[in-house]
Amino acid sequence: VNPAPIKHFARVIALLAIRIMPPEIRQWGIAMRYEVEIIERADRAVMFAFGCLAFACRQALIFYVLRPALLTVGATSFTIQEASMMNLQNNLLQHPQRIGAICGILATGLGLVYMGIAGAPVSYLAMNISALLIGFLLAGIVALIARSGQLRAGTASLALGTILLLTSLFGIEAGGATRWISLGGVALQPGLIILPVVAISFAACRDALSTASLILASLAVAIQPDRAMSGALAAGMLTLTLIKPDRHSLIATGAASCGFMATMLQVDIQPAMPYVDQILYSSFDVHPLAGMAVLAGASLMILPSVIGRLYDSDQQHIFAVFGVVWLSIIVAAALGNYPTPLVGYGGSAIIGYFVSLIALPKRASPERLDTRETAVITKERDQHNLCLGLSYSN
Amino acid sequence: MIMSRNRALSPAARKIFAFLAGNGQAWSHGYELCRQAKVKSGTLYPLLIRLEAQGYLEAEWQPPTEPGRPPRHAYRLTEAGHRLASEVAAQPLPIQPQTRSESFA
Repeated sequence: VNPAPIKHFARVIALLAIRIMPPEIRQWGIAMRYEVEIIERADRAVMFAFGCLAFACRQALIFYVLRPALLTVGATSFTIQEASMMNLQNNLLQHPQRIGAICGILATGLGLVYMGIAGAPVSYLAMNISALLIGFLLAGIVALIARSGQLRAGTASLALGTILLLTSLFGIEAGGATRWISLGGVALQPGLIILPVVAISFAACRDALSTASLILASLAVAIQPDRAMSGALAAGMLTLTLIKPDRHSLIATGAASCGFMATMLQVDIQPAMPYVDQILYSSFDVHPLAGMAVLAGASLMILPSVIGRLYDSDQQHIFAVFGVVWLSIIVAAALGNYPTPLVGYGGSAIIGYFVSLIALPKRASPERLDTRETAVITKERDQHNLCLGLSYSN
Repeated sequence: MIMSRNRALSPAARKIFAFLAGNGQAWSHGYELCRQAKVKSGTLYPLLIRLEAQGYLEAEWQPPTEPGRPPRHAYRLTEAGHRLASEVAAQPLPIQPQTRSESFA
């Protein structure tokens, strides 16, 4: 194989990385570009260039998207503004669970806006608010138990997988699907509550018990059948295997994919429920503002995954699974008659979202040299550090 | 600016630090660091930039050694960097995420 075109491809990738990079670090891009030139083997040059491009994309996202979004408009003192951003970065951006909680609250709020504009019954709004509180409470209780060391991820995951399977076998049947249970007269969909946390905790800790739980969960959603949850699980596990391939993730991907295929072979004729299914489309028919609220709410749900991946390269597989699972549920809701999480009527997804946050890392641990409080922070250094995603911790 | 102190460096960062420290006052280049520390370029450069921004790393452009070759960006630890490298080398390895996440939280 003639290496010249491959080497040229590597150069193009490196040049693209320079173009994308924020101005402050562009000279580093030039350094990378020249390194590509030095590398003898064309394939290694391409790999090196792709790494540089990935880094450039991350920095561009921080510099062009995240930074402007965080900047307070109209502040008179830039230095103070930057310092307060540092606090924000320090206190919030490094805590994925907090980001997730804020995104979850905002998304649920936007869902209430949509339902309010669409004229949904007040009881629907009350139900979602109750679910928000229950989700918060439940997540808090589980987090406390986990912190006490009494809850092992593998054991808990297996218990959740078993509950899911029991739901599929003995739950409430409607329209040929068995996905629900009744709790105090309220119908809940355990799949939406349990499956995301099982998938994300599996990404965080893969062992024999959690793999068994994944197999049980795959079987459960295949029996129900639930294409949305089954597809979300398969997509999440496939993502995990691509980032962190190992024996457990391969088995889980195999089980989840088989489960998804099984759901595709079965008939799923659930009718669309108002304020629940298909609202990504129908909300724009109601009012453009309602549509925007739904769209913004759905996007917010994925935001913790994006920020987590930007700030924590060591644990990005966990954030990736979180993002892919919830994105798949949203996409499934757009494609079929499945509940639109958080922004639509339905408490299960709201509870499930908050519970799934427990499986995220408590604190992002990027490859960085953390710094202690600074006495004097220059504007230039602040700007530079900010664009690099640095944090100042106490 | 008060100089920063390290906390829980990742294994990749430790390897890069160790290699740079081992090189003493000699200059190293990006690709060489990637190969020696066995890290990807997407991991190496953010770390180099941070080290440089925090005063632990010195970077300079070196002219081409042969005609037709590009200039190269070279790196070595500063005095503060060497001190930090010694501290890092003395510290135990950080707990890996997989172990830390075992109990959900």
